[in-house]
Amino acid sequence: MSAWHRPASLTEAIGLLAEGGVVAAGCTDLFPATRRQALSGPVIDLTRVAEMRGISETRGGWRFGAAVRWSEVLSAALPPAFDGLKAAAREVGSVQIQNAGTLGGNLCNASPAADGVPGLLTLEAEVELAGPAGMRRLPLAAFLAGARRTALAPGEVLVAIHVPSHAAAGRGAFLKLGARRYLVISIAMVAARLVVKGGRIDRAAVAVGACGPVASRLPALEAALAGIAPEDAAAAVSEALVAPALAPIGDVRGDAEYRGVVAVELVRRALRGLAAEGMR
Amino acid sequence: MSHDLTLTINGTRQQIALDDPRVTLLDLLRERLHLTGTKKGCDRGQCGACTVLIDGRRQNACLALALSHDGAEITTIEGLAEGDTLHPVQAAFVAEDGMQCGYCTPGQVMSAVGLIAEGRAGTDPERIREGMSGNLCRCAAYSGITRAVLAAAEEMTTTKGERKTA
Ligand SMILES: Cc1cc2nc3c(=O)[nH]c(=O)nc-3n(C[C@H](O)[C@H](O)[C@H](O)COP(=O)(O)OP(=O)(O)OC[C@H]3O[C@@H](n4cnc5c(N)ncnc54)[C@H](O)[C@@H]3O)c2cc1C
Ligand code: FES
Ligand code: FES
Repeated sequence: MSAWHRPASLTEAIGLLAEGGVVAAGCTDLFPATRRQALSGPVIDLTRVAEMRGISETRGGWRFGAAVRWSEVLSAALPPAFDGLKAAAREVGSVQIQNAGTLGGNLCNASPAADGVPGLLTLEAEVELAGPAGMRRLPLAAFLAGARRTALAPGEVLVAIHVPSHAAAGRGAFLKLGARRYLVISIAMVAARLVVKGGRIDRAAVAVGACGPVASRLPALEAALAGIAPEDAAAAVSEALVAPALAPIGDVRGDAEYRGVVAVELVRRALRGLAAEGMR
Repeated sequence: MSHDLTLTINGTRQQIALDDPRVTLLDLLRERLHLTGTKKGCDRGQCGACTVLIDGRRQNACLALALSHDGAEITTIEGLAEGDTLHPVQAAFVAEDGMQCGYCTPGQVMSAVGLIAEGRAGTDPERIREGMSGNLCRCAAYSGITRAVLAAAEEMTTTKGERKTA
C-alpha cells in the first residue's frame, strides 16, 4: 500500500473509492481484523467527510453521520427514545474504543454482536448509502444481509443513519450480557422502546442481538405488549414469543440453549427497567 | 512516496515525514520518535497499554494511523510531569501503590487523566472501575489503581486550575 487519502467531501470519497481501496473510519474493527501491514491498495479515511459527521435534528427526524463516534452519541442531547442507543454507546468496548469507533463502522462491519444494531432497529433506522450509481435509502434490517454481510455494493459507502420522528418517541433501553462486567463482547443483547399513552403501551419495539447471524425485531412480542400496562409488560414475555424470531448460535461465548434463556430474561429486565422509569 | 504530517507532541510541534502511510501512532511514538513510555501490549485495542490523549481524548495509539491524526495534539506519559514535579495522577499511583511490574502503568495513568477530564466518573469507585475498564493489568493491581484514580480525582477537583496541562 502506498496511498492514503482523507477526503473532505462525499463526492471526493466516492471518486477515490472508484479507483479501488479500503475505507476506514475509527479502525477499531479494521485493525484487529486485518494486520495493517496486510492492507493492500489505498486507504480512504472517511473521518473528515463533511456529510458523514455530526448528529442533527432534521425535518423528518434525526440524522447521525456514519463517522459519528460512540462518545459523541453518548454526549449528544437526544430524546429519551435514544436512551437504549446511548446505553449501547457506553458499552462498546472501552472509552478509548468509544473515542475512535464509529456508528458507521459498527454497522458496516456487521458483526452479529454489534451493539449498535438492536437499538437502531427499535428506532426504525434507515441507512443512507452513496456510490457511483447515486444515493439510496434502505431500512437497517435490509442493509444487514447476514453475519458480516451488508447490502453495500462495490464502491458504495454508508453516509448516514436516519431515525424517523415517529420512532423518536417514548423511551428506550438496552441491556447486554457478557462474560464479565465491562469491555466484553455480547453473548446476548436486547433493546426495547415503549411509547405509553394513558397508562397503556401504545407501541412497543423490541430487538434481540447476538443470538443469530443478525439482530432482529420481535413482532409477535410487540403485538402482545400493545395495550397492556407497562408494569405488566415483563410478565407478558414468554419463551414462545421470543424464541421464533431467534436463530441462536452456539459459539465460544455460549451455547444456543443458554442464549435463548438469556434473551428472554434480558427482554423482561429491559421492560421492567422501562416500567420503573415511570412510563406513563 | 513520502507522507508529511504535523503533530504537536507534549506541547512541541513536529514535522514528520513517513515513508509508509500504514504506521500507527504507537509505532511512530516508540520507534521513530523514541518516546517509549507508551507501551505496546496487545497491538489490537484490548489492553490499553498504549493509551494516549489525542486532542484531549484518550485513545489506543495502536489502533490509530498516525496520518489520520495530522494536525492533532498528542499527550503521552512523557508530557505529564512538570520538571521533577509529578502530575497529580502519577503522584497518586505512587502514593496508593497503583502498580506492580509497571508495564501497564503509563496507559493506566493516561487513561485516568482522560477519565478525570471527561468529568463523568466523579469519585464513585464503580464508575471509576467502569471508566478504567479499557486498561488491563496483568499483575491485577486493580484495587491500588482504583484507589489512586479516586485520590487523584478528589485532589484535582479541589485544586483545579493550578496546573497548566491536562
Ligand atoms: C477491544 C475492542 C472492543 C470492542 N468492543 C465492542 C463491543 O463491545 N461492542 C461492539 O459492538 N463492538 C465492539 N468493538 C468493535 C468496534 O469497536 C465497533 O464495531 C466500532 O463501532 C467500529 O467502528 P470503526 O469506526 O472503528 O470501524 P472501522 O474499523 O474503521 O471499520 C469497520 C468496517 O466497516 C467499514 N466501514 C467503516 N465505515 C464505513 C462507511 N461509512 N461506509 C462503508 N464502510 C465503512 C470498513 O471498511 C471496515 O470494513 C470492539 C473493538 C475492540 C478493538
Ligand atoms: S497495545 Fe494498544 S490496546 Fe493493547
Ligand atoms: S502492574 Fe504489571 S501489568 Fe499492571
